[in-house]
Amino acid sequence: MDKPKREAILDLAKYANERIRVKFTGGREVTGILKGYDQLLNLVLDEVEEQLQGEGEPKTRSLGLVVLRGPTVTLLSPVDGWEEIANPFVAQE
Amino acid sequence: MLPLSLLNAAQNKPMLVELKNGETFNGHLVNCDNFMNITLREVYQTNAEGDRFWKLKECYIRGSTIKYLRVPDTLLDAVKDEQSRAREAGRSARGAHVSGAGARGRGAPTRGGRGAVRGGPVRGGRGRGRGA
Repeated sequence: MDKPKREAILDLAKYANERIRVKFTGGREVTGILKGYDQLLNLVLDEVEEQLQGEGEPKTRSLGLVVLRGPTVTLLSPVDGWEEIANPFVAQE
Repeated sequence: MLPLSLLNAAQNKPMLVELKNGETFNGHLVNCDNFMNITLREVYQTNAEGDRFWKLKECYIRGSTIKYLRVPDTLLDAVKDEQSRAREAGRSARGAHVSGAGARGRGAPTRGGRGAVRGGPVRGGRGRGRGA
């Protein structure tokens, strides 16, 4: 093995104090303002809102300041630039 | 053709990623690592039912949640060319006595697989062939 690439592929510094969306194994989903992180992808989020799964209108609950465990994080993206859209693939097919 | 070397070569290429939970992500690969963790940009996310869609500027996906990735067909040829060119370069640089390295590099297991015990020339050849 030639020198293993140890730098993280995601530089979380660019999301500092920005609201990010995080999904977990099991399907839970939260948004919060990134206050801290480590190389294992453990996160500290403030003003956390959990998006509750289920039928009907979308519900949330407030969790406040939270430590999120890295190994359970499956998806991470900034809320800025995130929007629900109409099917973008119909035109192409 | 190793899965992760193909993925590495797919950087900046469009791809479709389906997760184990059925969600799919269409976007351009920004970066990936040996766990198959990936970052995408300009992403279209589709839910598991295929009836809701989101646009994301960028996202990070944990490798262990991925079911499969669809990459452009042309990538295979590009990586093959790259590998054979790297092999050719390694061969001519070291002379005729390692000319068998390329054939062995194809993966004949009787030769000890990784070629580690053979030492310098063979190992070097493989490393370059994969990494470049």
